[in-house]
Amino acid sequence: MRGWARYLLCAVAGIAAGSGAAVWTVKAGGFGSQARIGPWRTGTDFGSKAAGAYTRAVVARNGLLALPAREARYYTAASDDEGRPLDGRCRYRISGGEAGGAWWSLTLYGADNFLVPNEANIWSVGSAAMAPAERKAWTILAAPDRQTGHWLPTGGVENFDLTLRVYLPEGGGGSNLPLERLPRIQRLGCA
Amino acid sequence: MIRRWIPPAALGIVLAILSGLFVLHATPHFLMGVALGRLDKAGVNRFFHGPLATDRSRAIVRPSPDLAYSSCPFDLSKGPVLIDVAPTPAPYWSLSVFDRRTDVAFVRNNRDTGGASIRIALALRGQEVPVGLETLWLDDERGIALVRILVESRDEFEAIDRARRASVCQPL
Repeated sequence: MRGWARYLLCAVAGIAAGSGAAVWTVKAGGFGSQARIGPWRTGTDFGSKAAGAYTRAVVARNGLLALPAREARYYTAASDDEGRPLDGRCRYRISGGEAGGAWWSLTLYGADNFLVPNEANIWSVGSAAMAPAERKAWTILAAPDRQTGHWLPTGGVENFDLTLRVYLPEGGGGSNLPLERLPRIQRLGCA
Repeated sequence: MIRRWIPPAALGIVLAILSGLFVLHATPHFLMGVALGRLDKAGVNRFFHGPLATDRSRAIVRPSPDLAYSSCPFDLSKGPVLIDVAPTPAPYWSLSVFDRRTDVAFVRNNRDTGGASIRIALALRGQEVPVGLETLWLDDERGIALVRILVESRDEFEAIDRARRASVCQPL
């Protein structure tokens, strides 16, 4: 092989590999991938000038126009407490208490980062739907079929994730909630 | 034989690193451009008061179904833009301004203002704005001003929707 052909081949391969690796890492990066707390991932510098190139790219893809930490904290889980990917054909008990903010909501998203179609047109459950006493210890059931109590429909999709938004978080949102204050996600069974 | 491949391979590695960094840095700019392209369809320098998000909402990824969004894709190329956010009957509402790089250039909520409206001009450095008007100086002419309003119950949306339509995004 001629010398110039070797350079051309390596240059093309390098550009393809570098670009491909960057696209793959951005696609693989979850929303809030700076810190892992059990099944939850979170970060504090969304929308911040301090965010690095990787965080900025991941947030742009998975949560464009996210609020900064002092307004809202985002915690996202794509697996249950035992590390199994969340499956829309299964039932889950999600339980928790006060989330350390003015209010919170838990939203279910499909793998495409959009809300999941379901007959009930329910996409989230939040503290606003609960009496003050219940907010201290609550349970939400995520399942494809209707459940009694707070139900978060999964739409039967193959994979989904959950985002807990905590608005006006304590302490200006500068620190992460510890695992014991984040919701537990227990798989109850699968169809 | 192998020695002849070392310089081309080194070039490939350098280009791999540079192209990876380029993709990472270009992604927010590119995706913000896509979002602006979608929002521009409803008009530039004016608020679009969107319905509550559903599974059919596709303008922005991971929308919150608990929030009413009013978005104003702004363009400062012809002059400053005035944003005036009217109070709404909700426990939380806020204005955030995102620049072309997706950074939050400004955020203020109803608790910060004691429930009063938020009135601010968006301008490029060097543009003239009325004296005394709070101004957010930006480096890039494009961006998005976004109002979020908490809707605790979908039954409350009608009243909130009426109130938010008093908000203004317009050339100054």
